[in-house]
Amino acid sequence: MNTLASPIQHTATRPPGLWARRLPLAACVLALFGWLVWSVSARQGLLLLVGVGLGWGLAAARFGFTTGWRHLVENRDPAGVYGQIILLAVLAALSMPMLAHFPETHAALGPPSVSLLVGAFVFGLCMQIADGCGSGTLYKAGLGVPLNMGILPLFALGSFAGSAHLNGWLALGAAEPVGLVPLLGAGGALAATLAGLAVVTVGVGLWSGQHFSPRRIPSRWVWGALVLAVFAALNLFIAGQPWGVVYGFGLWAAKAVTALGLFDPAHNAFWSDPGHAQRLRETLLLDITSITNIGILAGALWVAPRRPQDARPLTGTQWVVGLIAGFVLGYSSRLAFGCNVGAMVSGISTGSLHGWIWVPMAFLGTLVGLRVRRHFKF
Amino acid sequence: MSMSTVTARRWVFWAALAGFVAWDFAASAPVNLRLEPPFIAAGSGTPGSGGHCAMPK
Repeated sequence: MNTLASPIQHTATRPPGLWARRLPLAACVLALFGWLVWSVSARQGLLLLVGVGLGWGLAAARFGFTTGWRHLVENRDPAGVYGQIILLAVLAALSMPMLAHFPETHAALGPPSVSLLVGAFVFGLCMQIADGCGSGTLYKAGLGVPLNMGILPLFALGSFAGSAHLNGWLALGAAEPVGLVPLLGAGGALAATLAGLAVVTVGVGLWSGQHFSPRRIPSRWVWGALVLAVFAALNLFIAGQPWGVVYGFGLWAAKAVTALGLFDPAHNAFWSDPGHAQRLRETLLLDITSITNIGILAGALWVAPRRPQDARPLTGTQWVVGLIAGFVLGYSSRLAFGCNVGAMVSGISTGSLHGWIWVPMAFLGTLVGLRVRRHFKF
Repeated sequence: MSMSTVTARRWVFWAALAGFVAWDFAASAPVNLRLEPPFIAAGSGTPGSGGHCAMPK
């Protein structure tokens, strides 16, 4: 069989009263947008809509980073990975000139470090067990998938714990972050990034036996990549920073444990930093990643009436393993300086070297994670 | 799984999220609109200063 079509075919039906069911959601999003603009910040209102666009793109195109990698390894189906490469290439072409032209914008620069190597490997392993990365957990929770709904708060707790321990991990060895745009200029950085993506594309083609051709990829991967690239570029343009997911999760948990008296941010190296301490004091509605995360959830919910959830029930063991994986997923995402979004998509597209280190380490972790996944019969 | 179960699950999830956001808004420092960040960061002259997962500190 030499087709790029995914072996798992989903049927999208259009239930009756689709728009009637979407109307209350649209009204809620518009009301929240208006209230944010009036009472919090116009920028945050705009970023809510960017998040809705990202969530819609992820859910409507079923743009799963985790499943894309899984299908490549298990079925030699490269469609999902080719979709991710299109996303990276288009977003890099949009982001790198922006970074060079506007000094107010900055890249997703994480330090090459022991923490990055360990975190990316463990993240890649756990994302296959939890069946979702950072964005995947968000949009699947928004669609009402039970495991991902259960994982989300544990992911947040893990992300908080990872950030609280980050300085200890950095002490094991870290270099200064490397950004290709300041080093090579926008043109040079883009050329280097596209060359790197071309090498990956050739490698994926050789492994799968199916060479890259946009016409042979199921269209959802192509238009999904384009939608995500446009909204992620808008995130950089409006917020001045690339698209991220897990910082918001960690902030939510940090607020909760601080309010419960279980954590004193003043005695933690990460959370006592003036910027993080300020975000702990002010409403999460002023935080960039928090507001786009809420938007992503709403965008996924917009798609939900067209995606009846057919998740099969899990056994008790599968629940326990999945929830533990969710916690570790959050923890490792902070060690790795991002998940598939913050490190891979935003890191590579804004020219951060740490994104290029993240991908092979997470892929190695995925190879192990797929075996664990099979062992527990997910 | 019945549609009503899925709908109920989504309601519980969104009610919990809305409750958390509402609690946070009430418990946090009041928003000072005079310190509102620029509408668009690019070209504003004010560097982006939000938190991001790639930040080491």
